[in-house]
Amino acid sequence: MDLHLLTQVLVGGVLVGGIYSLVALGLTMIFGVMRVINIAHGELLVLGSYITYWLFTLLGFNPLLSLFVSMPVMFGFGYLLQRYVVRHVVDAPELSSLLLTFGIAIFLTNAIRYVFTSDYRSVPYLTGSFYLGSIAFSIPRVVSFVIALAITVGAFAYLRYSRLGMAIRATSQHREVAMVCGIDVHRVYRYAFGFGCALAGAGGSLMSIMFSMHPEMGAILNLKAFCVVVLGGLGSYSGAFLGGLILGLVEGLAALYLASNISEAVAYGLLVFILLVRPSGIFGRAEAN
Amino acid sequence: MKSLLCATFVVVGVWLVLAPWVSSAYLTTLQLIIFMYICLASSWNLISGYVGYVSFGHVVFFGVGAYVGGIAMAHGTAWPLAVLFAGLGAALLAVVIGYPCLRLRGAYFAIAMLAVNELVRILVLAFEGITKGATGLYLRPIENNRIMYYAMAVVAAAVVLTARSLNRSKFGLRLMAIREDEVAAEVMGIDTTRLKVYAFILSAFFPGLAGALFARYQSFIDPESSFAVLTTIQMIIMTLFGGKGTVLGPVLGAVVLSIFAELVWVRFPFLHQSIFGLLIVTIVLLMPNGVLGLLRQRGIIPLRKIL
Repeated sequence: MDLHLLTQVLVGGVLVGGIYSLVALGLTMIFGVMRVINIAHGELLVLGSYITYWLFTLLGFNPLLSLFVSMPVMFGFGYLLQRYVVRHVVDAPELSSLLLTFGIAIFLTNAIRYVFTSDYRSVPYLTGSFYLGSIAFSIPRVVSFVIALAITVGAFAYLRYSRLGMAIRATSQHREVAMVCGIDVHRVYRYAFGFGCALAGAGGSLMSIMFSMHPEMGAILNLKAFCVVVLGGLGSYSGAFLGGLILGLVEGLAALYLASNISEAVAYGLLVFILLVRPSGIFGRAEAN
Repeated sequence: MKSLLCATFVVVGVWLVLAPWVSSAYLTTLQLIIFMYICLASSWNLISGYVGYVSFGHVVFFGVGAYVGGIAMAHGTAWPLAVLFAGLGAALLAVVIGYPCLRLRGAYFAIAMLAVNELVRILVLAFEGITKGATGLYLRPIENNRIMYYAMAVVAAAVVLTARSLNRSKFGLRLMAIREDEVAAEVMGIDTTRLKVYAFILSAFFPGLAGALFARYQSFIDPESSFAVLTTIQMIIMTLFGGKGTVLGPVLGAVVLSIFAELVWVRFPFLHQSIFGLLIVTIVLLMPNGVLGLLRQRGIIPLRKIL
């Protein structure tokens, strides 16, 4: 086996995996806090991508600085979505929240298609690569990875040390006890949904400099995010981080060893396989029923 | 009132039987498609409405049925047999997915079904030797398409009757107990996993039949249209619109929304799908039991009447 090629593929996989981790972190946070599976997560990410694209194309905004726009905008969007829509189904049967976020996903995809058309668009920024030894590092991917990692570390620190972060974790662990301790759980829900959307938006902005975008990619990214979250165990933050890196690696290896028409299915196959074999995730606890 | 209702039923019934002989090909096809959606929406309702496990990839059974049936027919199997194979193929897939996934909470099942449809579609595309890949599979056209109209009607009626029997049988009551409180149902001695899998098999078998019939009717199938996510969306929205967990809800939804789509929405392709999304959100928030639930709430339909 060509060790050099393999190393190259592994490096590429980890670099993409960092973004997957970031996106999955938002998904797992929303699930952990209110047990809502956000089927619209991929579409929220696409919104983030388009924010970066338009800031770049119309105003010549630096795509990396556009994070300072896409994250707050998506935070606000998520906050309001929770405040006025999702709130009503948090305590309802699971069926309601699944269907509701599915409806939001369909609406967003087609609204984006209507407004931006189905054309492929890309943000030409930071092209080229540099070499360490004989391994090539694509510059946009390395930059995206570093920023994604920084945001992930920031999110972990925030969850660990800030008052709101602690409230979020407390609510995830046991809602009633959190309420008894004086935590306004509905406020926590709004912030958690906002943070989740902001992380998706950040992922979208970073992805826009790595890949070209189109409105339908939300569904694919959704499944990738689910794959990551299920790999790491639903609701587990460190699981989401490791799961993202694993998915990146597996996709890289699949692209190397499988025919291209099959390697596309690898994320879905992995997701189904894990759900069939070990649905609580590699790092998760068993949670049947 | 009651006699008026009976008279309407008789007129509609006679029309539906005679339509292929007296009406235009366009109208007959529209009616066939409505039968198909009645079958699909009612099948989705069996697992998602009655048992409460949301399937986001239900079109996979329709697509698998279309391909199993289509491939069988392309190799010379008589169509009734091929349609039966298609139903069994879809049911087999339901067993394979259902046994592991239905042991778990509904969320896992929902996510799995999202992925299963994509996975199967890509596999169908990839195995070009058998499926002809993206080119699609052509079947030799048949001279008499009327028989397909009646066959689709029979399948639609069979699903509706199955749903109706659930309202009266122990099996159905147990399924609804699982939906209301799975832990409580289990404590009462209901073998929840097994019953969920049975319901899932039923909800997969009929779309499998419909898929093969539609393949035969069209004489052509391809992965994009056979596994279209939009079909799943339509099953969901039709059922929600009429009223999930009722016998007549999906029928009402399929009839009303198919006709509406034909008249209005085809002219606004993207916009109408956005409206689908908004409609789902609105229904979940404002009328979770659909039109039938609303009528029942307003007292227009008596509460005790089983629908």
